[in-house]
Amino acid sequence: MLTNYVPVLIFLGIAAAIGILLLGIGFLVGSGSKDDEKLSPYECGFEPFEDSRMKFDVRYYLVAILFIIFDLEIAFLFPWAVSLDTVGGFGLVAMAIFLAVLVVGFIYEWKKGALEWD
Amino acid sequence: MFHAILFYTFAAVLIGAALGVIFSKNPVHAVMLLVLAFFQSAVLWLLAEAEFLAIVLVLVYVGAVMVLFLFVVMMLDINVERVEGGFTKYAPFGLFIAALMVIELVQIIWFRSSGGARSGGFAANPEGYSNTEALGAVLYTEHVYAFEIAAVILLLAIVAAITLTMRKRPGLKQQNISRQVAVKRDDRVRLVEMDAETEQ
Repeated sequence: MLTNYVPVLIFLGIAAAIGILLLGIGFLVGSGSKDDEKLSPYECGFEPFEDSRMKFDVRYYLVAILFIIFDLEIAFLFPWAVSLDTVGGFGLVAMAIFLAVLVVGFIYEWKKGALEWD
Repeated sequence: MFHAILFYTFAAVLIGAALGVIFSKNPVHAVMLLVLAFFQSAVLWLLAEAEFLAIVLVLVYVGAVMVLFLFVVMMLDINVERVEGGFTKYAPFGLFIAALMVIELVQIIWFRSSGGARSGGFAANPEGYSNTEALGAVLYTEHVYAFEIAAVILLLAIVAAITLTMRKRPGLKQQNISRQVAVKRDDRVRLVEMDAETEQ
């Protein structure tokens, strides 16, 4: 089974080599005359207005967490689909209950307006 | 042999990344190193021939949980200079957790080596063995109760997240596109009959 992943390993090796090589060349060959002005964030000719860290709207967090929940739901579907022959009708009913519980949550968030971005 | 080299390489990067998470001053760098750590542990799952768990670790943790972590780190708006004093304050608590983990790990290893569990590692998998299928075969039959509890926990997470973070802004003006499209000429224009005015 692991032999299927040899291309991925080769890809990882090449990607790491290119990354290290490019950064290494820049580090070794670059003149390295850094000063405060060069390292400061450049904002098109004027002093930066504010710090690059800023507060996000909490709604991004809500969208992210709702995404994670349904992502996990899908993660549970994959082994079920693969082993449907062995789990049979019992597994089908088990998954139906699982999905029904999550559909309740889905209807709740839909009706509550959590998916809307006013 | 090659298998062992791969294992130790990825395990070493994993430990390095995990140490980086703890010791990096910038919280965003810490989250990025945590992403690296998750990738390395996914490779370790893969080396243990647990394909599904490896892919799910990348899909769920790297793809979704880390995005959430980044949001939280950015939402907290942490000042890098201010955080540095906190290390000594939380050190006793951290050491306590670390000691607890070490005790648990030592117990497991000791239990294993004393012949309480099977020794000599796991038996080689037969040809055509699928970890995903084996997982599914027990998850939806033997452990169905835990599986349904997972659904309820996810439902709880949906409700909790919505209750905690949903904010309706009062007095928000919104476009109603269907009403805009359905509008008739008579709703907007009123023709008024009046006599022409003459100059006096």
